[in-house]
Formats: sequence, C-alpha cells, structure tokens
Amino acid sequence: MSALGGGSSGGEGINPTASLIALVIVLIAVAVVFLVYPAATVPLIGVIIGGVLISFGVHFVPVGGAPAAMGQAPGIATGVAMLAAGGGLAGLFGGAWAAEFGIAISLAAGAIGGGLLMAITCLMVNVVYVFAMGIPAASGKVYKDPITGDVFPPYKSQGTEGHGLPFISYVGGVLGGLFGGMGGTLIYYELLQVYEEALPSFLGATTEGLTILAVSLAGIFAVGMFLVAAVLTAYNITGTIEGPHDPKFKRWPRAVIGSSAASAVCGLFAILLVVI
Amino acid sequence: MEEILFGIGISALAGALATVAGAAEDTESDIGSQGDPNSQVQLAPQMGYVHRIFNKAVSGEPPAYGLWVALAAGVAWALMAIQFNAILALVIGSAVAVFVQGVYATTAYLGRTASLAKFEQPVYIDILKSVTSVTMAHAFVAIFATVTMCFLMIEALGHPFPLPLMGIVWGIALGAAGSATGNPFYGKERQYQKYPFGAGLPISASGDIVRYAEAGQRSSLDNGWFTSKGAGPASGICFGLIVFFELWRTILFEPFAAGWGAVIAGVVLIIIFMVIDRFVETWARKTYGPYTEEAAPEEEAAA
Repeated sequence: MSALGGGSSGGEGINPTASLIALVIVLIAVAVVFLVYPAATVPLIGVIIGGVLISFGVHFVPVGGAPAAMGQAPGIATGVAMLAAGGGLAGLFGGAWAAEFGIAISLAAGAIGGGLLMAITCLMVNVVYVFAMGIPAASGKVYKDPITGDVFPPYKSQGTEGHGLPFISYVGGVLGGLFGGMGGTLIYYELLQVYEEALPSFLGATTEGLTILAVSLAGIFAVGMFLVAAVLTAYNITGTIEGPHDPKFKRWPRAVIGSSAASAVCGLFAILLVVI
Repeated sequence: MEEILFGIGISALAGALATVAGAAEDTESDIGSQGDPNSQVQLAPQMGYVHRIFNKAVSGEPPAYGLWVALAAGVAWALMAIQFNAILALVIGSAVAVFVQGVYATTAYLGRTASLAKFEQPVYIDILKSVTSVTMAHAFVAIFATVTMCFLMIEALGHPFPLPLMGIVWGIALGAAGSATGNPFYGKERQYQKYPFGAGLPISASGDIVRYAEAGQRSSLDNGWFTSKGAGPASGICFGLIVFFELWRTILFEPFAAGWGAVIAGVVLIIIFMVIDRFVETWARKTYGPYTEEAAPEEEAAA
C-alpha cells in the first residue's frame, strides 16, 4: 500500500467498463469520419493501429530512469516516453523519407530507423557502463537471461537491483524502436494520404503548392500522437521497466486499449481539421 | 555516381556535426545537472547535505532540446523565407534559442533551489552568474550543430520535412541519445566519486553526493570538466553514429531492390551492433568476474 492508500503497484488487470468505454470511443470516432469524409475511414484505422504499435513497442524499451543513472537499477537512464520518442521519431524521419516508395517500404524504413537508434544507443550505454564505470550488466527481475542463459545474481553489486543492459534488455530496446518507428510512420503515412487528397479541395489550390503543408501537418500530428501514446504507456508502466522479461510487461493490453481510444480521438481531430 | 558521393560526403558532415552536438549536449546537461542524476542533487539537501551544484531539471533533456532546436530551426526558417543568408539565419536562430535556454536555466535553478529552503539549502547568486553562461555556451554549440545538420538533410539530401519539424525530431533524438549515454557516468562516477569504482551505488547511499573539491566546495563547472572526458565523447559518438548510419544506409542502398536495399542494410547494421554489444557484455563478465563467490561455485573451485 502506498501512502495514499492505493495499491503499491499499478496492477495488471483490465477494467471491463473502461475497456468498453474505450471501444465505444474508437467506434464513435470511426463512425464520425465515415459519415463526414468516408475516404478517410481506412486512414483513421491506420492511425489507430499506429498508436497501438507505439504503445505496445514502448513496453519493450528497457528504461531505468533515475536509479539507472547511479547504477542502482538496470535499464537506460532516462524516461520511458523520452527514449521511446527519440527512437520513434528517428524512425519517422526514415519512414517519411521513404514515403515515395509506398507504404511497405515506408513502414519498414521507419521501423529500421527506430531500431537502429535504439541499437546504437543501447550499445553505447553498455560501453559506458563496462569501459567507463567497470560495471557488468545484471538484471534484478530474473535469475538468468532468457536468451543467453547468463546468470545474474553473482554479477549484481551489493545494495542494488542490478545495472547495465543485459542482452534481453538490449533486444527489447531494439524491438521497442522497431515498433515505435513503424507506428509513428504509419500515422504519418495515413495522415499524409488524407491531407494530399483533401487539402486541394479544402483550400482551393493546386496539390503542388500544398505538398509542404500536407507534409508539415502530417509530420507534426505524427509527432504529437506519438507522444500521446508514449506518455499514456509510461503511466501504465509506472516508473521503470527492464524489457520483455519484466513482470510489468504483462500490463501491455491495458495500455494498448487506452492508446487506441486516444489515437482515435486525436486522429479524428487531425482529419476533421481539413475536411470541415 | 557523383550524386552518391555527394550524398555520402553530406552524411559524413552531418555525422560529424551530430558528434559535436552530442558531446556538447551531454556536457551542457551535466554542468547544468539536467539529467536523471539530478534527482540526487535535489535529494541531497533533504538528507542534510547542502551543496553548490546547479539544478535545472524541470524538464527532461529530450523535450528541452526538442524545444530549443525547433525554436532555432523555426527562427532560421522564417529568416531564410525573407531572403536572409542561410548561415546567418542559422546563427541568429541558435542565438535566440540559447537566450530561451538561459531564461529556462535561470528560472529552473531559482525555482528548484528555492523549493529546498526548508532544508536550509541557500540560493547562490554567484553560481547563477558563473554556471548559467557556461551552460548557454555549450547549448549554443549543441543547438547550432544540430540545426545545421537538419538544414543539410533538407537542402542537400532532399528530405521532405520542413526545417522546424526536422528540428523537433532531431532535437528530441539528440536529448534521448545524450541523456541515455551520458547520465550513468555523471550520476555514478561523478556525483558518487568517493564510492568504489566498478560497482553500482547501494540504494542506501542515495543523496550522499560529493560536495567538496581539491580546494573548497565542488562547482558544477568541475562536473563539466570531468564528464567531458567520458560521458560527453560517448554521447557524441552515439548521436554521430545514429545520424551517420541513418543517412549513409539510405543514400547508398536505397537505389537497390526498389528501396528495400536501405532496409536490408539497416537490418545488417542492427545485427552487427547487437553482436558488438554481446561481445562487450561477455567481456565484462569474464574480465571483472562475479561480485560474490558463494553464488558462483565454479569460480571457487577453479581458484
């Protein structure tokens, strides 16, 4: 129990009433778009899937927060939403660059962009821990690494919950970057399709002059929605997470349901902006 | 061919700018104490350890740098729209952003430190005068290098994003890379320098940060001196590698397999970095060995 009388952890169960409300919000958003501008229905569903991918991906990212900065807990020493945003937005950069090649390559490029940022960042975190601080990687949540089989308790220094990035956390970081980059790119790509189609009739100008406006709007909405989904997920994680092997990882369905509702509402406004 | 060579040259230049930006960003955040280790700077007076360390972590590094770089990019973009010289526009944009960073640093230090008044932590005006300008100088280097890199990506490489949006994206990525790589070195190695090397900090020691230097009390400027030898370059290499490989793989391999070439190159790069990471991890386990012998009977038998 915490000082406020609530549970000490966020819990893992799914609230059926809240989930039902989230589902209703998603359905209402899709119905409104279908009635107002039917061509944007599929893009809105794409935006919702993008939000879900981001939310799911953030759970993989090993984030240790402040304790990790003192070698007191494993993970990367920064905030959940912050790190995921860094990876996801680097993915968005790559995905937007490849948008001319079509949705498949754009999504793949976005995923790889996010994964590459996380792969390099996680490597440099371990390099600093090992070569600058002399500390080997050790998880505090599991006895041994599910991938490599390395045993952790002997390598955990006294009075800490572990430190550094064990290989499972490294893989989790890369997977988180892949999902985040893909989700952010999907939101950007779908909104770009809507804007490129709707802006010329909405503003009464040629498509060529409006390309930069469409790219800017889609880009800034993608960044904004990315942060909505990532921050919402950070609340679900409550603090730190080590990666896919962490017991907190099991909470992902709740964040995914919440993010789908948030993405649906954000996507609805992003689409209504140009069609009303 | 010439186009590809030009692209690779621009990638290298952007990578070099990113390296400088990463190193300056981390040093700035360590001098100003903006990363996660600042939790200890905030905690220390509450545990009875009054200190003279700067304290400006009212925001994480990624959103802060997202704001500053986007601000610099926005001002530069507006000036270029009215036919200003590009270099001049980038310099003026960065200068405006640094002014905002200075206001942020000042108000953050005053606000955070004043909140510790009940624990008898004074607000030192001389710290405000001496440290703020140094963080601003480092922030200028980080912001100017990043916004110039963004400008190159758009003008020379043809990325579709406008400059301010590019500033947000790479500003947040810069803060994420810098804080992830640099924070442990500043937190464990510098703030807790008196604790043994080669081990994490026991949770019970939280708040007991080093407060004295060779002569007198430790200043945040000393922290910048220390972290610029480890965390700064590491953050620079991290951000530089990210930017360089992101551009390099796209420019060199995108023409292959109808665009899939860049994706395949990215996958190969990720696997290579993964192998290097595994090597670093096993090297540490072998070289440093376990902390406790009873939990590792095979080591005991070998001895």
